[in-house]
Amino acid sequence: MSLVLMFADSRFDYLGRVRFYIAIVVTPLHLMADLPSRTADAFHAFFRTREELVADNQRLQDEMLMLQFRLQKLDHLEAENQRLNELLKASSVFDDAAVRAQLLDESPDPFSKRVVINRGSNDGVFIGQPVVDAHGLVGQVVQVEPLTSWVLLITDPLHNTPVQVNRNGVRAIAAGTSDSLHQLTLENVSSTADIQVGDELVTSGLDQRLPAGYPVGVVTSVRNDPGQPFASIRVTPTAQLDRSRNVLLLFSSSESKGKSASQKAGVSAGTAVDEPAHHNVEGGQ
Amino acid sequence: MVNIGGKSGNLWVIVLSLVFAGVLAIVPIPVWLELWRPDWIALALIYWVIALPHRVGLVTAWLVGVLEDVLEGTLLGLHAAVLTITAYIGLTLYQRLRMFTPLQQSLTILMLIGTGQLVIFWVKAATGQNTADNLSFVISSVTSAVMWPMVFVSLRFCRRSFHVS
Repeated sequence: MSLVLMFADSRFDYLGRVRFYIAIVVTPLHLMADLPSRTADAFHAFFRTREELVADNQRLQDEMLMLQFRLQKLDHLEAENQRLNELLKASSVFDDAAVRAQLLDESPDPFSKRVVINRGSNDGVFIGQPVVDAHGLVGQVVQVEPLTSWVLLITDPLHNTPVQVNRNGVRAIAAGTSDSLHQLTLENVSSTADIQVGDELVTSGLDQRLPAGYPVGVVTSVRNDPGQPFASIRVTPTAQLDRSRNVLLLFSSSESKGKSASQKAGVSAGTAVDEPAHHNVEGGQ
Repeated sequence: MVNIGGKSGNLWVIVLSLVFAGVLAIVPIPVWLELWRPDWIALALIYWVIALPHRVGLVTAWLVGVLEDVLEGTLLGLHAAVLTITAYIGLTLYQRLRMFTPLQQSLTILMLIGTGQLVIFWVKAATGQNTADNLSFVISSVTSAVMWPMVFVSLRFCRRSFHVS
């Protein structure tokens, strides 16, 4: 019976529903497992001194000022970019609508890099949805449960991210590695490709799933072994995969020809992400 | 097998201990410790199979396994199969296991959980998931065996103080 189940789960899609409903039973366990760190956070927040808070406040205000200053320029650039794209008759892609989510748990299997976040189908999460944090791409949703969902990190060996070098637009595929949490490799890049240490990689959007332009990582080493057909290039992800507890789920506001078009329609109807989308449209005009 | 509302009371202790084991199985720990995490659910299940073979058997093991699969996001049925195998071996061995010294028990647990880990390893490799390329997956069964006396004593204490039968 278990064999049949396993076979069915690995080959077909029937069991998604079953898993979905069983998940309702086990979700409280995830919440319980999260309790220790949550109480620690609460204690930490409770016992902070006033000076710390004032200093924090000061720092955040400074940061906000800087960010707003940069945002002014960004608005201008975005409008200009839109105009230029229209001149070129190219479709512009801005997907900015996002919903905040919190990490609940990570996969207990040491060989798979997946995490549980506290948003599920009730919040409109769908499979394949990109997840970012403040610094870059984190991964994408692979499994949706009512209140939680599983996110496959970009460093998992099963995850491939189509990327582009920010400096010159060279395209490649960044694959996760099995040895370390903080490594990606660029696969099948010829040894003559113009990729240097320190190059920033962003998503290229060629997979029609992850939106283009989100930072993925920084090249840390390039090794050309004459005996090997391809260069071996190591990349460190810019997202803080082991530290950030807050992540953002991206809802694409622009239309894209993906298979998830119908799901997206359901999403925009079901959640309150419409507001930033409108804002975005206005900013573009 | 667990018929709640039957004549024997306090079966909720079994359920609660398995739930607690489930929480321990997914509590976030540092990545380098992840390999060393004992298989808490299997340990708790083996204890109950040895202590109350007429209450906890293959069906319970299978149900717990399915829940564990959903909990850990693994292939549905993987842990179900493994825990059923483990519980089956436990059921055939329980009379001898009760007579063993703690060291002998631990070694048997090592074999039991090691068998389970091996099956998990096989299935994962067969379905193209990422696993270790060496025998490092055995470490978890070693720590499980080390933890066994503690689990045994604490669960026996629970069983006796709550009169679970």
